[in-house]
Amino acid sequence: MSVVKVQIRKTFASTRRQPFSLEIQFSSPAGVTVLFGHSGSGKTTVLQCIAGLLAPDSGSISIAGQTLYDSARGLDHPAQVRRVGYVFQDLALFPHMSVARNVAFGVRVKGAEKQQLVQGVLERFGIASLANHRPAEISGGERQRVALARALVTQPRILLLDEPFSGLDDELKHGIIADLKRWLTDAGIPALFVTHDRDEARALGDRVLLLKTGRIAGEGGVQETVHAKSA
Amino acid sequence: MNWQAMALTAELASLASLILMLVGIPLALWLAYSRRSWKFLAESVVALPIVLPPTVMGFYLLFAFGSDSEFGRWYQHITGSTLAFTFKGLVIASVLYSLPFAINPMVAGFRSVDQKLVAAARTLGASKFKVYSQVVLPLAWPSVVTGLVLSFAHSVGEFGVVLMVGGNISGTTRTLSIDIYDQVEALNYHSANLTALTLLVFSSLLLCIVYGLNQKLLVWGSR
Repeated sequence: MSVVKVQIRKTFASTRRQPFSLEIQFSSPAGVTVLFGHSGSGKTTVLQCIAGLLAPDSGSISIAGQTLYDSARGLDHPAQVRRVGYVFQDLALFPHMSVARNVAFGVRVKGAEKQQLVQGVLERFGIASLANHRPAEISGGERQRVALARALVTQPRILLLDEPFSGLDDELKHGIIADLKRWLTDAGIPALFVTHDRDEARALGDRVLLLKTGRIAGEGGVQETVHAKSA
Repeated sequence: MNWQAMALTAELASLASLILMLVGIPLALWLAYSRRSWKFLAESVVALPIVLPPTVMGFYLLFAFGSDSEFGRWYQHITGSTLAFTFKGLVIASVLYSLPFAINPMVAGFRSVDQKLVAAARTLGASKFKVYSQVVLPLAWPSVVTGLVLSFAHSVGEFGVVLMVGGNISGTTRTLSIDIYDQVEALNYHSANLTALTLLVFSSLLLCIVYGLNQKLLVWGSR
């Protein structure tokens, strides 16, 4: 069964270059779907449209049976009500807040229940000892865990990952990717994972959508699609 | 030293800064983030006191506050008195005249906040109020303080607008800058010098606070 259904068109006018036009249609089941392609192929634009951070020109987006955007019906839920988790490339942790406050930011329950929930998540993500530190005071790998914890604690309909592992060394990256895969499976949260790194795609992805200049150029299992792209 | 003028000036500048904080922060947020096509008109109106001669602004405010204008008549009908040559009128004039000095640093501060952080807050379900109060304002607070300090200092040193709108009524509208003018007119240079020196030291201290805060902001941003 398809969890994510996306059919969008978006054109960016440019005075200096050729206008860039994104025109894609895909549906993906539960698990991790990799959006794979070169820089400028439109991967991040797709995520931003799904998250409600960018409005498509037309089309429709639905996640887990809930329509978030439908130009024909004039429906466009704002980002804050879409319940879409987003991990940015530079993580976008709030620099003035502690790790615990970062993770608690999107939690809707209050009081002792909130404290308990946040503490549980901090422990599950192995960052409980950093609760009172600010993002600038912890390592790159720890920051990744905080960003993932912050996005997943809200129980999103889907997790969008925009090349969040690009700044990490291989050993650290594979450790976090293995943990992330386990967390996603345990919570039953589907994910769209943007990357142009074949190893990352193989390590985390269940299937791949290949993007090329704003169009889907191929799709299928990770091994054959990524291998075909690199060939 | 005219202590009465000093107290009046401190009260005027404090009230003007307080009002500018309440009105200025929402207005600056709107100017920083709105995508309305006519926003440039609002920006121009806010910035007008920077380029307008104080006497011109004072003249029009005096007219607006008097019983010859619709607003003046309406205010007189409601309260039984006019705003011209009153402390209240002086506060309103100070707020309007100091508006760009409060707003411009705030707008610059709000715009300098990384928009990815705003986007992240939105995807985490934060309302606009929560985004502004918990992400944007805490990150841009040195700019807000800078705006308020500048508007306070500007209100303290106002002369042209104060003289036009408030006149020179002891205990009601005679501020320190008017008092210095009076003392010079009376050839009382020693007293004028004492008051002027006090304002000079005070203004220098405020500028030290502003530049110190800006340095803190830069250090914060580089972390």
